[in-house]
Amino acid sequence: MSTPVFRRIVRRETHSPRTVAMIIAVVILIVALVYAGVEIVLHLLAQPALLWGPAAVSAWIVGLPTAQPTSAVVAGGIVLALIGLAFVVLALAPGRLPKHQMNWADRAVVVDNGVIASSLAQHLSDETGIARDNISVGVSHRRVDVTVTPRPGVPLDEERVRELAETEMESYQLTPSVKTRVRPLRRQESDLNS
Amino acid sequence: MNNTNRALNRIILLLIGIVSLLLGAAAVAVIVWPEAAEFWTRAGKAIGAWIEQAIEATMIGGTTLSWLTLAVLALILLLVILLIVALVRTIGGSRSHMVFRSNGQENPLGRLTIEEGFVSDALKYSLGQRSEILFSNVTANDIRNQPVMHVSVTPRQNTSPRHVTEDVDQLVINLAAMTGRDVPTFISIHSGFRAKLARDQRRLA
Repeated sequence: MSTPVFRRIVRRETHSPRTVAMIIAVVILIVALVYAGVEIVLHLLAQPALLWGPAAVSAWIVGLPTAQPTSAVVAGGIVLALIGLAFVVLALAPGRLPKHQMNWADRAVVVDNGVIASSLAQHLSDETGIARDNISVGVSHRRVDVTVTPRPGVPLDEERVRELAETEMESYQLTPSVKTRVRPLRRQESDLNS
Repeated sequence: MNNTNRALNRIILLLIGIVSLLLGAAAVAVIVWPEAAEFWTRAGKAIGAWIEQAIEATMIGGTTLSWLTLAVLALILLLVILLIVALVRTIGGSRSHMVFRSNGQENPLGRLTIEEGFVSDALKYSLGQRSEILFSNVTANDIRNQPVMHVSVTPRQNTSPRHVTEDVDQLVINLAAMTGRDVPTFISIHSGFRAKLARDQRRLA
C-alpha cells in the first residue's frame, strides 16, 4: 500500500513535533516585539515611556560594559545564553518519542514502549511461572532490559528466559530492532527473612 | 495526526535560539573581556550616530516623523503578524470528509452515502466490545491529499500489541468488505495513565 504516506505517518508519530517549545519561543518574541513597538509609538507621540523609552534603551545597550551591577549583567547574559542553547538543542536533536514501529503488512502500526514492556513481562510470566510482579521489563530505543527476581530456592534458567524474550520480541518485528538483555536480581537477605 | 510544518517549527526555534545564545554570550563577554568591552562601546557609539543621521536624513518634511522609524514599526508589525500566522498554523489538522460508499442516485428513495463519521463510530463500537481494549478513537485525516484512517487504541496493561493489532486489522478488513473501500489505516497502540489505573487482568465473567 501507499508506503510514502505510511513512512511519513510513522516518522511523525515517533518524533516530537517541537510545537510546545516553538509556541513558547514565539510567544516570548511576540511580547518583546509588541512592547518595543509600543515604546516607539509612545516616543513618537511624545508620551512618557511605560518603562524605558528608545533613547534610554539604546544608551543602556551602548553602556553595557560599564552597567551596574556587573554580576546581574553576567547572570542575565548566562541565563539568556542557556535559554538560547536549549532552543538550539531542541531544534537540532531528533526528538525521538518512546515508541516503536511494528512491521505489519498493509498497515502502519506504532506502539508505545510501555505496551511492549508490559506485554513481554506478562508473556515471560505466563511461560516461566515466575510471578508477574517479579519481572520488570524496560524498553528503550535499541534495547530491552529484562530484570527477573527468582523465587527463593528456585534456580533461574537465565538462558530460557532470554530465549523466550528474544522469540517474543522477534514476533513483534519492531523497527528499529532491539537487543534483549536478561538480568537476574538477587533477593535481599531481609526479603528472605520476612 | 495533523499537518503542522515541523521543519518550520525547528527553523524558528533554531533562529530564536542562536540569537538568544549570541546576545547572552555578548553580554557576558563585554563584562569579563576588556577588549570586547572596548569594541562594544566603539561599535555602539558608531551605530548610534549612524541611526541618528539616518533618522535626520529621512525626516518627513514638516513633521517630527522619520521614514526610518515608520519602517521599523512596519517591520515589527509584519514580524508579529508572521509569527502569529506561524502559531495559528500549528493548531488544527485536516480532517478528511471522505466518502466510503455512495450509491449515487440509483435508489428511488434517494442517495445513500456512508461517510467517515459512521465508519468511525462502527469501529469504536466494535473495539469497545472487547474487554482488553480500554479506550479507542478513530479519525480520518488527509495526508498528502490521501485519506488515511487513524485507529488509536489503549489496551489493558500486559496485553500483547500483536493481538491488539490483529483484532484491529480484522475489524478494518471487515469494514472494507462492508463499505467496499479499503482505506490505508494507521494503528497506534498507547500505554498511559488510563491503562495503568485499570485492572491489568480482564475480568472473567
